[in-house]
Amino acid sequence: MKRAVTAFVATVVGLFWVLTFKVTPHQAAGVAAASPPPSASGGQPVSASPTPTSSTAPASTPSPTPVKKGADGTFTGTDVPTIYGDVQVRIVVSGGRLSDVKALQLPSDRARSAEISQYAGPALRSEAIQAQSANVDIVSGATYTSEAYAESLNGALQQAHLG
Amino acid sequence: MAAVRSVRDVMGMPITVDVRDKDAEERVLEEVFADLMLVDQIFSPFIPASETSRIDRGELQPDDAGPLMQQVLKLCRLYEIATDGYFSAWIAGRLDPSGLVKGWAIERASSILDGYGYRHYFVEAAGDIRTRHPVGTGGPWRIGIRHPVERNKVARVVLANDLAVATSGTYEKGAHVRDPHTGRQVREWLSFTVIGSEIVKADVYATAALAMGQRGVEFIEALPCFEAYAIDPQLRATWTSGFSALSDSGEGASG
Repeated sequence: MKRAVTAFVATVVGLFWVLTFKVTPHQAAGVAAASPPPSASGGQPVSASPTPTSSTAPASTPSPTPVKKGADGTFTGTDVPTIYGDVQVRIVVSGGRLSDVKALQLPSDRARSAEISQYAGPALRSEAIQAQSANVDIVSGATYTSEAYAESLNGALQQAHLG
Repeated sequence: MAAVRSVRDVMGMPITVDVRDKDAEERVLEEVFADLMLVDQIFSPFIPASETSRIDRGELQPDDAGPLMQQVLKLCRLYEIATDGYFSAWIAGRLDPSGLVKGWAIERASSILDGYGYRHYFVEAAGDIRTRHPVGTGGPWRIGIRHPVERNKVARVVLANDLAVATSGTYEKGAHVRDPHTGRQVREWLSFTVIGSEIVKADVYATAALAMGQRGVEFIEALPCFEAYAIDPQLRATWTSGFSALSDSGEGASG
């Protein structure tokens, strides 16, 4: 559970629940969730508003694009129709790690859809943070970093060959 | 340009006041820091004669405290309700309003600067920031969100024009933040940044959302005019729907 996921593809079906890409060591095959779990296994419960109905699974579930473990690149999930509109996500794997997940399509054409997508959309977004030496005026953050913690975490990441 | 800037240790933390207005004067900074020291004298739990310490020792009843303490205690009660108890000035029966006082002191400093007609400044206290407008064509203030491990680097840059940015972290003292309802140590987030229109709210909400664990981001998402960027122990970030519009699009993912 401590390891970053190395490859991951997800297809959103039904009610935009899905995936947590956080630390769940999914196997390379995509997740086609015709009956999405109420909260993804072991990861962030990116829950949205209550689901209005349970009869929203589409007639067919296209297979998502598989991602081989360690394969770098950009991978686009299957466009999945729902009663609220289409849902499609794209991920970027770099260095064997999931570096970005983006919702290419979320329903927005109806008020209800907008409400849902506005809420569920951001929950689909997560990424490994980058360490930047950006030009800034001031920095926001807790001030007194525990160096021991930082070293420990760095060490663990390196052991996992993810640092 | 008669910009003035000063960084001083007040309230046990470094505080920066940076004013870029052409008519900015040093004496105004003195007034700002004098007010911060006054706040510290009243609220510091580390000063034996402070009202906080006297209330904590049972020597002063909250109802008999001065008007500033009354104001802060009232705000603490309101925010305790607004955050479902995840923010509280009373920890294990002891008064510690410092979680609210920092943002409140920044807001007071901001009000003093506003009173002089200054429009181009920021006030920062230990990583919590209130900005007003940037200068001329200089673009918005660029506020880095500190990387929790590589602490001389930033994870993202927030473009702040008249905004408040507050970050609560477990990395500063180890995982010492606890869920007030269960006593469980909060380990879901290393740092939780909240961006919004008011520094008191941003500061309190950052503290509360951090303590909420996983659903902290949803809590902020449901609040109008506030955005969040939270970093977990796996060094992954999760953010609210409006965050990308406030962050530097040249870095990381944009949306």
